[in-house]
Amino acid sequence: MSFEELDHTADVLMRVRGATINEVFADAGRAMFHVMYGPCEDRGIARQITLEAEDLESLLIDYLSELLFITDAENLVFCTFDVDLQGTRLSAVVRGEPFDPARHAGGTLIKGISYFGLEIVKEEDAYVVDIIFDI
Amino acid sequence: MLEGINKIGDLEWEVPVGYVPDMRVPGRFFLSRALAETLEEGAVRQLANVATLPGIVKHSLAMPDIHWGYGFPIGGVAAFDRTEGVISPGGVGFDINCGVRLITTPLTEADLAGKKRELIEALFSVVPTGVGARSAMRVSNKELTEIMVNGARWAVERGLGTPEDLIRCEEEGAMPGAEPDAVSAKARQRGMPQIGTLGAGNHFLEIQVAREIIDPEAASVFGIAEGQICFMVHCGSRGLGHQVATDHLRTLESALGKYQIRLPDRQLACAPIDSPEGRAYYGGMACAANYAWTNRQVIMHEARKAFTQVFGIDYDEMRLIYDVAHNVAKFERHDVDGASMEVCVHRKGATRAFGPRAPGIPREYAAVGQPVLIPGSMGTSSYLLHGTATAMQKTWGSTCHGAGRVLSRSKAKKAIRGRELREHLAQEGILVRAHRDSVLAEEAPEVYKPSHEVVRVVHEAGLSGIVARLEPLGVIKG
Repeated sequence: MSFEELDHTADVLMRVRGATINEVFADAGRAMFHVMYGPCEDRGIARQITLEAEDLESLLIDYLSELLFITDAENLVFCTFDVDLQGTRLSAVVRGEPFDPARHAGGTLIKGISYFGLEIVKEEDAYVVDIIFDI
Repeated sequence: MLEGINKIGDLEWEVPVGYVPDMRVPGRFFLSRALAETLEEGAVRQLANVATLPGIVKHSLAMPDIHWGYGFPIGGVAAFDRTEGVISPGGVGFDINCGVRLITTPLTEADLAGKKRELIEALFSVVPTGVGARSAMRVSNKELTEIMVNGARWAVERGLGTPEDLIRCEEEGAMPGAEPDAVSAKARQRGMPQIGTLGAGNHFLEIQVAREIIDPEAASVFGIAEGQICFMVHCGSRGLGHQVATDHLRTLESALGKYQIRLPDRQLACAPIDSPEGRAYYGGMACAANYAWTNRQVIMHEARKAFTQVFGIDYDEMRLIYDVAHNVAKFERHDVDGASMEVCVHRKGATRAFGPRAPGIPREYAAVGQPVLIPGSMGTSSYLLHGTATAMQKTWGSTCHGAGRVLSRSKAKKAIRGRELREHLAQEGILVRAHRDSVLAEEAPEVYKPSHEVVRVVHEAGLSGIVARLEPLGVIKG
């Protein structure tokens, strides 16, 4: 399970790699919250997400957009992401804590997830996707 | 210059049909040799991709702050035929009606002496900034509907500004065609607690001094004089706008098959202007744009109060020069080959720059054209310009919107330390206030193209004329 920030002039480009698609989705969420808030702890807040889309790429965008909605609307910060995919149906439980200005302020606000160049690629032993977060 | 691009003027370049498959018109952009050194091939490819969209008229354009985005390049401008063309959220961006306003004060630099820190702290305490920021103002669902339809007028009717503010605002602070039904419950939920908040990233509220007047005649018309203290607000439509963009991008992306539109990039998702999906996006985008004008109006109101509190000046002595949008799509009439034509002009990281006597600009500015505001990056000059007849002929009345990045945020964070930068700027007399120093590194002056070069190009290409240069004295950031 991993993610790394690649160079992108205007926005944040993250390469996410996982042994399974579930891991890729979980780490994509982790990468996004890492950009926005930095450190986070599970303090008993949990939210359930269920989604369905026509393909995995659209599903990934819908899932990350849903997380953006929840964090902005409810002022919550998430750190663990349990994702279960059945084809192009997703159910996830995300856990974290309320936004705390002392620890979470000063991060980078993500405005949206770009379709540009977004493709989940199967490599020999892993799935990889490059995601552009608009900031 | 990159291969396959033709020089057609001193500062003008053409991307010929065929640069990418299925282009319907050529691309054109404005750039000096110095700026060409940092031009990304990906940005030109995006400019060419826009030229493949149905109904595009004349050219796919980009301003000298062109850089690689998603969908349209940043700095991209394109007009689409009202009946045969498309509308695309990728030509507006996630931050609908991100924009800038500039306000003059009766103060001089001498008045600020010894009080700048107090002013910055006062501004920082009344204008919420950064991720997770919440407004002290609570609006109901009904009020939010009024904001989305009436824009800045909603704020002025509640005493958060003056009627003159509305006249000196693009679209008078509310564009027509807002359809609240096209704004989801999620967008509303995000928008309600964020009216009057600045956001993060490159958004700011900056105290500036009019250091240099380049065009005294236009400066006099705009009401700005050398040495005058001003302040500038740069922000957009916050979570509401981001959600409107996300929701409609998704709908349009799913509808591509229905309209048999083939795209080189899914981020260019679009629909015919007169389709249900196209109309819904326009209606939702207009709501978000009006929210953004209200947002900047409320922030300006709070800043005026802070200036009044610190300096004892009258609220009415702080005059809005103008407010411009630089991420928006609008219906406008333009001359095309001698005939007047209604087109949907998309400006993504580009500013409207209507020339003298153009419709829709304040009567008091008719002789010189509309004011154009180009924010500098942190620590560098911002510019006040005016629109021109040349822009009307060449770029649908458009010009640049800023400097354009040259260094990624990840590289900036490795190369620059926020604290050192803050101390360095303080030595130059520029006070910076943010929640964390780390956010400063990402927005350091050296990560942007030099704004003076970008502005010089639009001036020399005739797309707008420089009126005044404003230097920063203090800034609050997200």
